[in-house]
Amino acid sequence: MTTYEHTVDRPVAQAASRPSLRRLQPQITLPLLGIGSWAYGVSQIDGSRIGNYGLLASANIWFVLGLVALVIGFTLELAHGRHRGWLLGLYLVGLIVAIHSTVAILFGAPEYGWVYKHIGIASAFQTYGHVTDPTNIYQQWPALFAAVASISSLAHVNALSLASWAPLAFELADALLLLGIFRLLTHDRRIPWVAVLLYEGLIAWVGQDYLSPQAFGYLLWLAMILIILRWLRAPASSDEPHGWVARLRAPLLAGLRPAPPTTKAMRAVAVALLAVIYFAIVAAHQLTPYAALAGVAVLTVLDLVRPRWLLVLMAAIAVAYLLPHLDFIVHNFGLFSDGNPIQNGSGTTAAHHAGGEATTALVVRVLAGCMWLLALGAIARRRRTLGRVAIPAALAFSPFLILGAQSYGGEAIYRVFLFSAPWCALIIAGALCELRAPSRWFLTGAVALTALFAGLQGLYGAVSVNAFTAAEVTASGWLYNHVPRGSLIVLPQENFPMLESADYNDYDFEIMPADPQIDQSWMNESNLSQVKSWMGAFGHQTAYLVVSRSMAASTDYYGAPKGYTELVSSIPTGLGGSVVYRNHDATIYRVTLYHSDATAPSSPQAELGRPK
Amino acid sequence: MSGRRTELTAYAGIVGSAFAVALVLGAPWHWLALAGALVLACVPAGAAVMCWVDSGEDVAQAGLTLTVSLAVVAIASALMIWTNSWQPRALLALAAAGAISCGARLWWSVDR
Repeated sequence: MTTYEHTVDRPVAQAASRPSLRRLQPQITLPLLGIGSWAYGVSQIDGSRIGNYGLLASANIWFVLGLVALVIGFTLELAHGRHRGWLLGLYLVGLIVAIHSTVAILFGAPEYGWVYKHIGIASAFQTYGHVTDPTNIYQQWPALFAAVASISSLAHVNALSLASWAPLAFELADALLLLGIFRLLTHDRRIPWVAVLLYEGLIAWVGQDYLSPQAFGYLLWLAMILIILRWLRAPASSDEPHGWVARLRAPLLAGLRPAPPTTKAMRAVAVALLAVIYFAIVAAHQLTPYAALAGVAVLTVLDLVRPRWLLVLMAAIAVAYLLPHLDFIVHNFGLFSDGNPIQNGSGTTAAHHAGGEATTALVVRVLAGCMWLLALGAIARRRRTLGRVAIPAALAFSPFLILGAQSYGGEAIYRVFLFSAPWCALIIAGALCELRAPSRWFLTGAVALTALFAGLQGLYGAVSVNAFTAAEVTASGWLYNHVPRGSLIVLPQENFPMLESADYNDYDFEIMPADPQIDQSWMNESNLSQVKSWMGAFGHQTAYLVVSRSMAASTDYYGAPKGYTELVSSIPTGLGGSVVYRNHDATIYRVTLYHSDATAPSSPQAELGRPK
Repeated sequence: MSGRRTELTAYAGIVGSAFAVALVLGAPWHWLALAGALVLACVPAGAAVMCWVDSGEDVAQAGLTLTVSLAVVAIASALMIWTNSWQPRALLALAAAGAISCGARLWWSVDR
């Protein structure tokens, strides 16, 4: 090419590109400003200064403005009637990244103490390649942990390096599937986008997307729903309903969108895919298979699924896996709770609700209540054409069936909310998009922002407790590298990153039974003779006692265990503890014990293996 | 569009499989090998199936490719644990299977 050609070509090329560039710049300005503002805001937050009201209360205006810009920009794009997928996708990805990477960036370690138990299982599989602790329920449902172990092994890394980013990865994948599902359920291309936006706010507080079998099971369950709705919907019947069941069903299905076209061969492939995915769920988590079963059961009762025996196939897979483990479940956890749905849905009853915890709990309860009430209101508006919301309504309220059987250690209600939220979000989004009021997009933006910030208060409210620093994880690692195997390791409070090593089972971990959230409060940690007697009853000469920043934060947040602060201050004097390791967030003491004749109290060790 | 969507899935499967194997076996840094392992867990097995199956939506196609892959990797890994035959590198066979299935899908579309 000659210089002359350059001089001729360049202005032409520039002229051609100018209009598209001009169009592009304002479009991407707002999402980039939003992401930039959030990123700058995060860089200005000091994680160590976050108090009991959580990250939002300690955040700066840039952090908040970034999130607001992303939601407002998203809503404006829909309001202008363009709803370009790539731009809405950019907003949505930006929002999910902002919500779910903030804590990972601030603290640099996986959030939630129980995630470290999961890392320990994956590490054990990675190191030994087989079940090392048959008494641990996680090892009996190994699918996710084995997959994480495989990925870690192939990359020669520890599962710990994956765990911080698991919430972001799961949420992005969930959003992808939900968008696909919602598009099958509505003609209006705006509704799925609004629904996913609402969903991200609504479920933020549930905190079920960390590296865990239930987050994995939930993702796979969404894939199952997508397969069922795409290929396994019952074809519409033009015949008059026969029989009383069909006549009862008919008004519920009035106005139902016809099933997408499919073939017999495709149905067979879909059933095979479903069986594989469902087996992965069954082998990964104890509760999710039954939540999935409840959803499919309700769709089957409404005669929306073919083949009808799909439900039987799923039940057979679930039961076939459960039967060999039945004794283990019955003896350690119980197959059913007391059968009282109200009791089973009451959450963690022994928590001390006060201060920041009470405020956050109130916010998320109001959010959950509003979600279900708004969804019911939107369904009521559709009372003449219930079929238009029949599928999401069935899926939104079928998870309540779980409460008839299990409290799941007080966590069942959170799973009910999680499994219900996508469909409630879709129903609410449908109602918002169909409002005739000129201010409907303003209302949509307001609802989305309210849901988002309420959900974020739930997610970030206890971040000072749930998040761990790299120094605490280092202290935990020091234990495994320096403390002799078989040693007694005592935690005055369970909120510490523990059990993340492949060899966790070689140590005698004990948590002082002084926290009413996990047990009846019968031990005051400020009573040193009681503490000594309890530690001595385990029959060891020496104990390693760990205290940390996150334990203190948890004690302050929940008001329990009582006496923790006094215990920490009296370890060197009252218990004769000598410091064997210390960094700025954790201290490990060695305490010499004298054998006591007292019987070891019922250990909360079982709690360490409690399914989350 | 349906043929194009499954063809795109097939291309993604071939590229993902090659990328995963190259990174897992040859990456000089752990983080690069981790990227390869994650691609191996998220693409080849699902692409092997979804390059023959059109879901009707791009996002659904991508979502199902991802979840089918994860399900297969999870089951295969659990089987290795249950049978005491822990060989994570055997999962590279999924990349081979994915590449073969996706290649067959592309060959089939050209042949028609």
